[in-house]
Formats: sequence, structure tokens, C-alpha cells
Amino acid sequence: MGDEGENVPANESNDSVVNQDELILAQQRQIEKEISESIPLVGELDSVTSLCKEYSTDDVYLEKIKDLASKYSHVRRTRPDGNCFFRAFSYAILEKLLCDKDSFNTFYKLAENSKNILVELGFQQFTVEDFYETYMEVLKRLSDIDNLDDAKKELHIIFNEQGYSDYMVVYLRLLTSAQLQKEKDFYSCFIEGHRTVVDFCHQEVEPMYKESDHIHIMAACSALNTGVRVLYMDRGVGSSVTQHDLPEGCSPSVHLLYRPGHYDILYP
Amino acid sequence: MSTPARRRLMRDFKRLQEDPPTGVSGAPTDNNIMIWNAVIFGPHDTPFEDGTFKLTIEFTEEYPNKPPTVRFVSHMFHPNVYADGGICLDILQNRWSPTYDVSAILTSIQSLLSDPNPNSPANSMAAQLYKENRREYEKRVKACVEQSFID
Repeated sequence: MGDEGENVPANESNDSVVNQDELILAQQRQIEKEISESIPLVGELDSVTSLCKEYSTDDVYLEKIKDLASKYSHVRRTRPDGNCFFRAFSYAILEKLLCDKDSFNTFYKLAENSKNILVELGFQQFTVEDFYETYMEVLKRLSDIDNLDDAKKELHIIFNEQGYSDYMVVYLRLLTSAQLQKEKDFYSCFIEGHRTVVDFCHQEVEPMYKESDHIHIMAACSALNTGVRVLYMDRGVGSSVTQHDLPEGCSPSVHLLYRPGHYDILYP
Repeated sequence: MSTPARRRLMRDFKRLQEDPPTGVSGAPTDNNIMIWNAVIFGPHDTPFEDGTFKLTIEFTEEYPNKPPTVRFVSHMFHPNVYADGGICLDILQNRWSPTYDVSAILTSIQSLLSDPNPNSPANSMAAQLYKENRREYEKRVKACVEQSFID
């Protein structure tokens, strides 16, 4: 529904109510268009020090980039479209799995079984299948390539093709939602306000372009049976970046850089 | 050319044919799968009963990641329908999820007819009458119902 329930005088005619929803949507589309024309969905590898260009006059960030550069050599940027965590996480985990056939096969089996879990939780089989089939098609395509470099190239191509890339994001969103719902007693403690876990999933997890929080990351890790290390870089005090492992105490297979509102992929 | 959006719309259409929800129908236009025509029958025990309301649904290549634009072609008098037929419904805007399909969209609009939300008015007159003068509201809606036979 529209956000503002204004009190309109009784004599005002219907025609004078502007279709606000469409105006807002049109503006959003324009902003998204500008972003999508300038930043690829998933970028090429860049050196960590290349981040300095974005903060040439900001001493706090420059200090922290120096610290980050002592731990990581490269960064891969993702498009800031609200899907960055899910896209970065999906990409990074698959890239990592390509180097280890056994882990890849385990992951493949986990993914193969995931559709039934979603359907059992009440997701609509018909729409879930659409995303599931694309997800499995991508995994299959990657596993069929023997040469590691070729496989990595294919991964990069797939994740920059909007249709495939977004379906990968949707499916991970659904898996994350399923994980939250499966363990709703646990996760309900982390949800602000009076929303139920199911409402939260419908409003903040399943819709595309909704940004991710800690709770999304915890559930996504748990759904894919993996861990992630997030490096936080913001204007907070100190000259070093803070790191968090999710879940706590894991040995992380994916490393992400967080700057307020955005995630990119890091490489040691 | 087959794109994810077009492939998905074929599936939506198939599902709508195989498992049609009560009181709604929809199909792609003859030469363009990205534009659909749909009909919603006014729900029983509401002032919209007996009406046959026509809509158009326009999809982009970003479907199902983004919602389609849905508009009533038939003249409507409803708190959440704009003068141009545009619909103010959360799942068509900020609460869209890629797991919704055409069937889900049409049934949601159908229940919006039964349960208007007068606190988020797209038609302030309809919202006010709905809250303060239900008889007059129903009279105006009935006029739409009769109009819908002619359209």
C-alpha cells in the first residue's frame, strides 16, 4: 500500500490524486538504470589498494584500507542493487568450490535436495521449480568444465548475465528464507518489531533488491552449510577493520568486505 | 527468442489453464506474450458481485524479479484504484516476491475488491465513502458493475 495515508478533503475530485506509486517507481527505475549502466553485476579482480581511489580525501578510510591490504590482496566489486550480499556470497562460494571437486559434489547434492525442503515448507512448487531448475542448470554447466580457469570464466559470464545472475540470487533468497522458517524459534529473537519470522521472510528476504542484514547472512550460511568472514570498514574509531566470522568460530570459506550498505568479495 | 521472463510467462499461462483459480482468468495477447488481458469477476457478497472487470498486465524482461504493471481497463470505483486504472497493492510494489505468478496476482486483486484498504487511498472519494457512507459507496460500485457489462 502507499506509505502516506493523507487526509484528503471531501470535495477533492478523484482525478487530482496523482498515481504516486508510479511516480516513485519511475524514479527508482531511473536510479537503477544509472547504476546498472555504470557498474557490472560482478566485476573483475582489483587490488585492495584500488579502493583508495574512492576515498582520496578521507583519512579514516585510507588508514583502514592500509590495514585491509595487509590481510587481503584483491577485491571483486558487485553492483550495489540491494542484492549484493546474495550475489557476492553465491559467486564467492561457487568460485571456491570449483577448486575442490569433492566439496563441489557435496554442495551439488545439497542443492539437489533443496527443492523438496522448500516445497515441504509450503513454497509454491510451481514457482520454486523455475528457479531451482536454473540453479541446477548453472551448477551442472560449471561441473561439466574440467579446466579450472575455463570454469571460473564461465562462472563470471553466468553471473554477469542478468537472467541467470538474478535467478541465482532469487534461489539463494528462497533457501535463506527456508532456513529462517525452519529455525524460526531461534531467529525470531533477532527480528525487530512485532513481525513474525514468516512475515519477515516475505518482506525482507524473498523480495529482490532488499538489503541483507546479519540475520540474512547467518541463515544463508546455515542453509549452504558454510561460514563467511565479514570485514567491516566504516568511519568508526580506530585504524583497523573489524572482522566477524559467521557463524562464530567457523573456518570461513568466503570473505566479504562490508562498507555501510554494501558487500564486495575479498581474496586473501 | 526465449528469455527467462518469456519462459516463465509460458509456465504461468500453463498453470493458469491447468489449475484455474475461481473467479479470475487471463491470457497473453495474440502476438505478444509480454502483454496479457485478464478478467476478474466481482467476488460474491460484495458490491462488486456480478461485475466482469477487465485488466491489462504488462511484463518487462525483468519479470519475475520485478512485478508487472497491472491496470484496470474497466472503470472502477474502489479506494485503492487510481483514476487511470492503476492499482495500489503492496505485492505489486514494494512487497513483490519472485515467487508470485499471474495466478497469485489476480487472486490478490480479487481479494482487494472484497477488502479495500481505505487508509492508503488511490481514490480519496471512494475511500471516504467506504468509511463514512457505505450505502453511497455501494451505489457507486454498483454503477461500475453495470458499466462493466457494456465495456
